[in-house]
Amino acid sequence: MAAPPAVPFVAANAISKSYGGAQALRGASLSVLPGEVHGLVGANGAGKSTLIRILAGVTQPDTGEIAIEGRPVAIVSPHAASGLGMSFIHQELAFVPDMTVLENIMLGLPKKKTRLGLVDWSAIQRDVAPIIERVGITAPLDASAKTLSTAENWLISIARALVWRACLIVMDEPTASLSAGECRKLFSIIRGLSTSGVAVLYVSHRLDEILDLCSRVTVLRDGRSVAVLGGPDLTRRGLVQAIVGGAVEHLPKSRGAARGEVVLSVRGLCRLPRVTEASFDLHRGEVLGLGGLVGAGRSELARLLYGADRPDAGSMTIEGRPFAPRTPAGAVRAGLGLVPEERRTEGLLLSKSVAFNLSLGNLTPLLASPVLPFISLRRRARLAQATIRDLSIKAGSPEQPVGRLSGGNQQKVVIGRWLRSKPKVLILDEPTRGVDVGARGEIHRLIRELAGHGMAVLVISSEPDELPDLCDRVLVMAEGRIVRELAGTDLTRSAIIEASYALTEERVSA
Amino acid sequence: MSDAGYTRRLSPGTRAALGVFARYGTIIGLLVMILVFSFLSPHAFPTYNNFINVLSQASLAMIIAGGLTMAVIVGELDLSVGYAASLHGVLVTGLIVANHLPIPVAVLIELALGALIGVVNGVIVTKLKVNSVIATLGVGTVLVGLSFAYSAGVPIVSGVPESFLQLALGRWLFGIPNPIIFMALVFGGLWLLVERTAIGQEIQAVGGNPAAARLAGINVDRIKILGFVLSGMCAALTGTLLAARLGSGTTNAADSYLLTAFAAVFLGSATLRDGEFHILGTLIGTLIIVLGFNGLNIFGAPTFSQFVFQGAILIVAVGLASLGRSLAES
Repeated sequence: MAAPPAVPFVAANAISKSYGGAQALRGASLSVLPGEVHGLVGANGAGKSTLIRILAGVTQPDTGEIAIEGRPVAIVSPHAASGLGMSFIHQELAFVPDMTVLENIMLGLPKKKTRLGLVDWSAIQRDVAPIIERVGITAPLDASAKTLSTAENWLISIARALVWRACLIVMDEPTASLSAGECRKLFSIIRGLSTSGVAVLYVSHRLDEILDLCSRVTVLRDGRSVAVLGGPDLTRRGLVQAIVGGAVEHLPKSRGAARGEVVLSVRGLCRLPRVTEASFDLHRGEVLGLGGLVGAGRSELARLLYGADRPDAGSMTIEGRPFAPRTPAGAVRAGLGLVPEERRTEGLLLSKSVAFNLSLGNLTPLLASPVLPFISLRRRARLAQATIRDLSIKAGSPEQPVGRLSGGNQQKVVIGRWLRSKPKVLILDEPTRGVDVGARGEIHRLIRELAGHGMAVLVISSEPDELPDLCDRVLVMAEGRIVRELAGTDLTRSAIIEASYALTEERVSA
Repeated sequence: MSDAGYTRRLSPGTRAALGVFARYGTIIGLLVMILVFSFLSPHAFPTYNNFINVLSQASLAMIIAGGLTMAVIVGELDLSVGYAASLHGVLVTGLIVANHLPIPVAVLIELALGALIGVVNGVIVTKLKVNSVIATLGVGTVLVGLSFAYSAGVPIVSGVPESFLQLALGRWLFGIPNPIIFMALVFGGLWLLVERTAIGQEIQAVGGNPAAARLAGINVDRIKILGFVLSGMCAALTGTLLAARLGSGTTNAADSYLLTAFAAVFLGSATLRDGEFHILGTLIGTLIIVLGFNGLNIFGAPTFSQFVFQGAILIVAVGLASLGRSLAES
């Protein structure tokens, strides 16, 4: 069927934007047809966020045009963007924890009033009911939003977009913190939106999802739209090539590396309700993966190891000595290092320089003399320069604010902090979340290198793809317990996924 | 973020101009003020004596503001500094007059007491997790009570030895008034501490992002307590010097330093850096306020105008600081 060339709902043409000296977009174009699920992919720093910020009216382009349904428009503010029928759901969800589900759905939207001029919640509830039904919100409307899961809060955001009658919903990394089941639910909602004529711009690093959901995909690289793939051209290989712009490097598996003596030993660690029982040994020179679904208790277990929380029961030893950290500072003194899950809020001081962030928590090497307490800024810059080179961090200078780097480079800064202090045990929580394909490979290589130098490494990841590539051994957690240990030929993606769901299924069938 | 909203829609030229204004506005303001006052009052204002005088007067406010800067750098507010300084003034006079303690001993006791008040503030904020505004307001109010309990509200005037007055009135080095020397020592020390020591890096980290600092292995509580301790010690020094200058220990004498110090600290955060608190900024901030007062005095402006000036400048200062921050963010 030869459909007539449809007028795109939104067409952005030859958009350029620079921040200070950095050119974020160089003539990028994007057009989304009505009712289409359109993918937007690209390495970190390729310009995806900037393009979305421009569509959302948060930032103004330097040059370029935007048309909505064929009419040129200027999107001067977020308010104007929503007036034009666009709705944006960001990675960090904007909702008010203390307000109810219904209040959050209606947040910022015009509300029906009673004759007395008060908000007519019962009328609103009647109007909103079909939408609630459609997106599948099962929580009571008067429940407070903070009691809901991340997935349910996503549904609230989608419901808000629908109440506002958005024609285009932009979703930025929607599945980053959803479990597999929640993802499936979200995908069916997205397909439903598409059939009912609502376009979705789907921004993600997860190519499987993109291939599964999107009919067309725009690929950004270095601020340019390098490809629009659709139909038979839309393949995994085609996407990866367009994103990377060259050959893709594969990490050589270096399994079976001699594993050394036990460094960290954990016995019966428990902190209810999320961690019910965890026992394991972590060896010198090994990369141990911790897999499982979001909410299985992995991050909570990491917090116990790191002294951010105290266990209810259980014990730990480091190199045979009892280890019961009361604070992260205590854990660091005992030889632990942590690369936290939320690098922007828990890992970095965004306004401070790369050099400052690299030296954080390990300031002794900066001291100008052994007696006086003063540090040498020159030495700090030199050490930072060395780390920047070793990790090939893309930074203009050690004095550049770390907030201006791309996600992958920011992550390298957090990891780089531990390079010099050489902890015995390094815990990395979701080390490649929101990081592009290229940087992901580099971070993996870096992790293997650290283990090669005798560090004991624990990697937490929600992406089943990541662990088999990277780890010597994987522990799978489900509902607060370690349910399976996988190594050697058993260590596969499907084995991890299977083990993640094992407990849940047993319970269902029981 | 919505507070940064309007700065994002500005043209690059306007943004650049605003950026310069946000960073250098305070320094430009200081220079303009000096020029205007010099022009209007060429015989009284731009003289060496007047500058030394102004600086000497400013020194007390500067010391307390320098201490307050340490509390705000670690991300807390210390509202107790004014009341604490008043109490220290009363106590140090009492220790010297009633208890006949040698002056250096009395001063050292005050400094130790100032540190102790800082520890109390810090422990309440970090361990009991009381918001620092409430905690320090509470502690400050208790200090007012202690001050009244000690002196019954009657200024200690008689029997204050001349040698104590010399602490504030003397010129022990190159004919420079002592308060300026003390102030220079305090600022030099604090600047070195924050900008050039390992602890200073931790102080900046705790103020910038406490969660990240904690996970990087920094003992956040201890650094925050240190911020309050330095704030408390500076309040003690200011209180002591004020008592020496007035020749008496008077309850409430130093209360008004609180507002001056806050205005100075926020003006300082809008100086050279984008809304970030720092020692050098506080120095410039205090100079602006004190020179402003001095100018108003020289022109015989009525007393009420000083309050209007101080209140207005506090708002301008905070406005400039958040303008700088939003420009840096967007």
